[in-house]
Amino acid sequence: MKHAAIFFHYVSQYMKTRLTYRVDMLMEIMSDLLFQAVNLVFILVVFGHTQFLSGWSRDEIIFIYGFFLVPFAIFGAFFNIWDFNERYIVKGEMDRILTRPVHSLFQIILERMELESLFGMITGIAVMVYAGMRLDLSISWYDPFIFILMVIGGAFVYAGIFVMLASISFWSDSRTSIIPMMYNIGNYGRYPVDIYNKVIRFILTWILPFAFVGVYPSAYFLGREDWYVYAFLTPVVGFGFFFLSIFIWNVGVTKYRGAGN
Amino acid sequence: MDQVIQVKDLRKDFKSHSSRPGLKGAFRDLFNRNYSIISAVKDISFEVKQGEMVGYIGENGAGKSTSIKMLTGILTPTDGTVTVNGMNPHKEREKFVSSIGVVFGQRSQLWWDIAVQESFKLLKKVYNVSDEDYEAHMTHVIDSLDIGPLLDKPVRKLSLGQRMRCELAAALLHNPPLLFLDEPTIGLDVLVKLKIRNFLKEINEKYKTTILLTTHDLTDIEALCERVIMLDEGQIIYDGKLANLRSNWGEGKQIEFQFAEEVTKDELSPLMKELDAEWTASERKNVWVANVVNEEHVISEVIGRVVAAHRITDVKIHEISTEEIIRNIYEEGVVDGKIY
Repeated sequence: MKHAAIFFHYVSQYMKTRLTYRVDMLMEIMSDLLFQAVNLVFILVVFGHTQFLSGWSRDEIIFIYGFFLVPFAIFGAFFNIWDFNERYIVKGEMDRILTRPVHSLFQIILERMELESLFGMITGIAVMVYAGMRLDLSISWYDPFIFILMVIGGAFVYAGIFVMLASISFWSDSRTSIIPMMYNIGNYGRYPVDIYNKVIRFILTWILPFAFVGVYPSAYFLGREDWYVYAFLTPVVGFGFFFLSIFIWNVGVTKYRGAGN
Repeated sequence: MDQVIQVKDLRKDFKSHSSRPGLKGAFRDLFNRNYSIISAVKDISFEVKQGEMVGYIGENGAGKSTSIKMLTGILTPTDGTVTVNGMNPHKEREKFVSSIGVVFGQRSQLWWDIAVQESFKLLKKVYNVSDEDYEAHMTHVIDSLDIGPLLDKPVRKLSLGQRMRCELAAALLHNPPLLFLDEPTIGLDVLVKLKIRNFLKEINEKYKTTILLTTHDLTDIEALCERVIMLDEGQIIYDGKLANLRSNWGEGKQIEFQFAEEVTKDELSPLMKELDAEWTASERKNVWVANVVNEEHVISEVIGRVVAAHRITDVKIHEISTEEIIRNIYEEGVVDGKIY
């Protein structure tokens, strides 16, 4: 497993770099934790005033939100390549990536990872536990495994979409404002999709399948059987989107024009 | 001998759109763009044998970088075939790049924040180099580049010369049989340049490493390369020995005389009778230059006759430098047939 070995080597390098700036790292961890705490309070305050939202109770909505945070944290840690265009295409760093014998996307993920984002998983799980207890959800022995599968599926949905967006840079190196917009659209996946109209719901399921990051997989854990089909489609859609995005990326690499020097 | 690089009718076109002037033009661009195709590299062909050191030269924008990028698998050729180390660089990129080393003078291969040896360790993993191979090869490289004391410093704290030597070591970590160097000595002082040149010669002799070097510093080429490939506007205008370039173009010598008193061309011309030489006036006062062929008896004959006839205060003999030759070639455009 060459890739795994490289991955762990990069992670240890990343830690070392962080540890050299001790104060910096401490501050960052503190502020990350604080940010998560504020986030948590914010969720409780906002949802404190809603009781039902087209058939979903307040605790269910909080649960969905908590679930959403977990794949989102993983996405943030590894696939946060919003500055790909600027950093790799315009500045020509892609040249260097392409002269190394490892898949280009894998190298970029390793170079751009931000492991601090993983703290978000703690918040997410805490929110889920809180909501789950209030809802009296029962957990079977296989649920943690399904949870992991759903989380990976959800993270891959996000990753797929952002890798596709990054791939656009291979064709056109002009700056676009698509990425911030996409972060906004991504937030829609945090809420039950049946509160939206049909068109938006269709888009969030099949075109930009953000619904598979939050609502659909959560429906399984909330025991909403009418949504099970969608829930179990999560890993399928996730892997499908991710592989499609890698395919587009690979085509994009052949269109790379390089930066002049 | 084996052909390490085989390039046939290689071509790279870039599509670029030219924007129309003014606001009205910008609106028209929205709907209907003017595309123009620019060929950066126009059907070039050449071959490089194993163990050769080739200088790849040309003005800015002549297509050097573009062709190097196609040879290293970074860019996909529009047309033509490239075979390097028996592989198609673009098709089998990941396998292919393990067999080459690349140094881009203006771009760092090393990680900015971590110590040099940590960078080496990462690259060792990336290139899948075994511990024994690494020890055996890199101990020598680190020694000859004299970078031992720099290994535990972060790259951002190194000077340009120190960094460049580390970059070179990093590119050679997997002991590639072929090395691409794009402006490796840009901005370096003479001592570092010498060190790098000696090192390149050494690995070329020791491992038969093939080296393709682009540079604007012709002294690099003179010190290292027997063969040069010269590009202009995307085409090869010269491919052959550097020595031939010199003997064909830098054949003559110039003898510069400073006379003690004023002389005219009419006075000087008779001195050149039966000799293959002619006079040109210099911009400075009383200075005349005799352009002669590079033959001993002609040079001594000219000096002898001039000194016998006139009083002079200074004599200088110039040889035309490679730089001048190349400048001449560019000014005249394509090299005429006799050079081949």
